[in-house]
Amino acid sequence: MNVTREELMAYADGELSGAEAARVEAAVAADPALAERLAAERRLREALQGHLDPVAEEPVPDALAAMIAAAREDDSRIVSMAAARAEREAKVVRRPFLPHWGSGLALAASLVLGLMLGTQLNSGGSIAERNGALVASGMLAKGLDTQLASAGDEGGPLRILTSFQRHDGDYCRVFEAAATSGIACKDNAGWVLERTMANGRRQASEYRQAGSAESDLMTAAQDMAQGAPLDADQEQAAKAKGWKK
Amino acid sequence: MGTNRFCEELTALLPRLRRFARGLTHDAADADDLCQQTIERALKARQQWQEGTRLDAWVYRIMRNQWIDEVRARTRRSQTFVHEDEGMNVGTTGDSDAENLVELGNIGRALARLPEEQREAVVLVLVEGFAYKEAAEIIGVPQGTLTSRLGRGREALLRALGEAA
Repeated sequence: MNVTREELMAYADGELSGAEAARVEAAVAADPALAERLAAERRLREALQGHLDPVAEEPVPDALAAMIAAAREDDSRIVSMAAARAEREAKVVRRPFLPHWGSGLALAASLVLGLMLGTQLNSGGSIAERNGALVASGMLAKGLDTQLASAGDEGGPLRILTSFQRHDGDYCRVFEAAATSGIACKDNAGWVLERTMANGRRQASEYRQAGSAESDLMTAAQDMAQGAPLDADQEQAAKAKGWKK
Repeated sequence: MGTNRFCEELTALLPRLRRFARGLTHDAADADDLCQQTIERALKARQQWQEGTRLDAWVYRIMRNQWIDEVRARTRRSQTFVHEDEGMNVGTTGDSDAENLVELGNIGRALARLPEEQREAVVLVLVEGFAYKEAAEIIGVPQGTLTSRLGRGREALLRALGEAA
């Protein structure tokens, strides 16, 4: 039975699955030299951990925690100021980039909690992970491919609020689904979710007012966009070529 | 958005980040600087972190890139004094480093002598406990490259520790 050095390392690192691991185990049991090499691998891991783990046991310098705490304070202030400003502006002028909003649709934004988001997304079966990035799948991907902001599409589970091209030319769409809103941009393989926000009518934090989710997303879209959002014809044309730039 | 959650998770990561920094730099003062720079960068870039992805891998990547930048800067500063083939290893060859090495003990010295790219692979997998796939993503190389660096680093360490490798 032949076990390569790479296989032995992968085994020691817990990278081998059932059948492969069993094969290495059998070989190790039958070959004392191999068993000794495996033991050496494990001693090395222990030595390295013994060398570095104590660093993780040391008390963390106050300065580091203080930097994070300071950023958190700043953000709270900025968010509450931005919310107040958004509210003032909403009363006075509508930004040209903001499309028409159904009056009953004000969604209260929550601060997005990864855990909650994950649960909601997964239950919808519409969001998947690809190389550490969130991508649309299922109904969401289909809706992003086919629905038009200009068509309105009111009443369905998915609303497309606007479509635009960002600076690299990729097509992006601001969407609102039952549990999540966000911005998705099309790359070669699919719709990558650049922003996501969990929706929930009763989850407004003390800093955020109902309605700030849309305005945050539209502001983010405005920042990402190259030029104005697509009009009905441009949107139709982009859809026709599969949202490829 | 999600700043509170982000900050809580980042704070909880600090002990591990300090360990990773020490593993990369093998020097307590460098590690402290690296940690501080990493936290600064992470806080500044926090809007770019995608909810639902692993924060630890994201911050490790920032730290690793920050360190590589630092190593390259040091390499440029001292380029006239070192031999070409020492390349990426040059961050470990200054006088003060040589003094520090005495205090490190066998395993620490052996780790410090590894080329940067092998050391980060070894530390991510054997100390920080990342899977090959995750470690490769943090470094930004294909998994095969990661395992080959890991293998070479490991063999060098085993030899240095007097284990048959």
